[in-house]
Amino acid sequence: MTQTHIFQAEEIVAGYDNKMVIQEVSLVIPSNKISVIIGANACGKSTLLKTLSRLTKPVSGNITLDGKLISKIPSKQLARVVGLLPQSPIVPEGISVADLVGRGRFPHQSLLSGWTKKDYEAVAEAMRIMNITELANHNIDELSGGQRQRVWIAMALAQQTDILFLDEPTTFLDITYQVEILDLLTDLNRKHGTTIVMVLHDINLSARYADYIFALRQGKLIVEGEPLKVITSTLVKDIFGLDCMVIKDPVSGSPFAIPKGRYHVNNEKAP
Amino acid sequence: MVLVICFVLLGLCMLTSLAFGSRMVGLHDVIDGLFHPAADSYEANVVRKRISRTVFSLLCGAALGVSGALMQAVTRNPIADPSILGVNTGASLFVVCGIAFLNISTANQYIWLALAGAAITALFVFGIGSLGRSGATPIKLVLAGAATSAALSSLVMAIMIPRSYVMDQFRFWQVGSVGSANWDNISTFTPFLLIGILVAIFSAPALNALALGDDVATGLGVRTGTLRLIAALGAVLLCGSATALAGPIGFVGLLSTHVMRLILGPDLRFVIPMSALSGAIILTVSDVLGRLIGSPGELEVGVVTAFIGAPILILLTMKLKVRSL
Ligand SMILES: Nc1ncnc2c1ncn2[C@@H]1O[C@H](COP(=O)(O)OP(=O)(O)O)[C@@H](O)[C@H]1O
Ligand SMILES: [Mg+2]
Repeated sequence: MTQTHIFQAEEIVAGYDNKMVIQEVSLVIPSNKISVIIGANACGKSTLLKTLSRLTKPVSGNITLDGKLISKIPSKQLARVVGLLPQSPIVPEGISVADLVGRGRFPHQSLLSGWTKKDYEAVAEAMRIMNITELANHNIDELSGGQRQRVWIAMALAQQTDILFLDEPTTFLDITYQVEILDLLTDLNRKHGTTIVMVLHDINLSARYADYIFALRQGKLIVEGEPLKVITSTLVKDIFGLDCMVIKDPVSGSPFAIPKGRYHVNNEKAP
Repeated sequence: MVLVICFVLLGLCMLTSLAFGSRMVGLHDVIDGLFHPAADSYEANVVRKRISRTVFSLLCGAALGVSGALMQAVTRNPIADPSILGVNTGASLFVVCGIAFLNISTANQYIWLALAGAAITALFVFGIGSLGRSGATPIKLVLAGAATSAALSSLVMAIMIPRSYVMDQFRFWQVGSVGSANWDNISTFTPFLLIGILVAIFSAPALNALALGDDVATGLGVRTGTLRLIAALGAVLLCGSATALAGPIGFVGLLSTHVMRLILGPDLRFVIPMSALSGAIILTVSDVLGRLIGSPGELEVGVVTAFIGAPILILLTMKLKVRSL
């Protein structure tokens, strides 16, 4: 089982050279839970995730792990607690599944130690969890999109961190594979207690899989809480500017947003 | 397995390098020259003279191979190589300036000038190549490297031509040649080679992480800026010192790493050390070829590697046309 951690951000402002994208966001990541960041395109979800996972430095504000500033924690030590799967990682030409997953062990190895038994076990375990053990010797180029994404998540799992950040782990996948990936991540959370924080673009899958939601609008955190409490038609209108009706998902019991449009409004044809 | 084959090839290279040349000698004489100090035939002496040359070409090839592997990893660009990026020419320019203006003439002094030249050119080319929105793409880097290389070469010419004494000292060096190496050169060169190769081997796991992108690498605890700096320093050390002693030799870094990548895949923990072996083999074979083709004189090894390397570069660039960083 993983440990409990207090990961929090206080009034962080972050962005890029010419413009600040994240505006004074404060949050505490619920430990051992699945949190999902939602928001419209370009509202700053990825930037927030990047800032939390130390890819971008905040201009002001603090991010702390168990009371320590993450910028003060040695990078390898931090990488043994906080893992990250960015949105578009690079696949080196001709790399095998096992090689790629194995690269997740980097923070556990020292300059001289090389590969230990623990490393091999962690890689085997990660591949087993993601159901890719049989693919170990395949070349990544031969895999389908869904398989590829499982390989990347296995790489992050091999890192064996208590906290895992993922940026849109289901983008570009068919709905079947989206559900498969989210189920596997839920397994990971329920069985190992891994704290998961991810960006998802599908509001209904977010509502179904999240224990906790962070909703962003134009770089500000406007609502947070459990999906049942916070996902309402007002919120959807607020963050996506979309009129919708929110019903109860008959399968999972979570909120389910059904968009309205000019042609389909409560069974009537629009003028 | 690959290791065994490489070592066998390496052994063969050494033998041919000792035996072949404008004057051919037999295996018997090679053994005499190596192991029987008393043997005093003309052939045995020829062989002894070729020992330093062979050792130097092996070391120099290893340096260029590893330097190429490092540059490719740092730029995440499969066609990076000391000569393609113009780093060798930068080193040459500094050496020529040293010869022309500072009366410098020993390998010990060449080395520092060459290193400074290599470092400055590397910075310059990567700077120019990363201008613009798409960052440092392979094509932009090659163009920046070629343009810089051409500009620096013409500077080299401009300095050399009016000074015949520089010409004499410089001529052998300019195309890249291992023929004149002596044991002094080798002992000057070896520390740089060792440091460079150690840097490369120890940074290989972190460079493996960097290959997955800067974001993934940071997530894995790699400090990408520091890593790039250290690995680039290693690369400059290796190719700068090799260039100082042998002159600019092109394409060895490119060829040796790609052969190894084809056989071993992309894991740099293997590709880096094996590029040292393949680089040593390629340079030594090229040197032997140069002696055979050029007989009764010899063709400088830099010319031979350029002949082999240029077509391979064209093939690679075509294959990788749109792959960017
Ligand atoms: N590397 C970058 N440099 C400059 N601006 C960027 C960069 N990445 C994103 N942005 C800008 O920051 C804003 C937020 O982007 P992002 O966080 O990626 O949004 P989201 O993930 O919510 O779609 C956008 O306006 C985008 O154009
Ligand atoms: Mg995004």
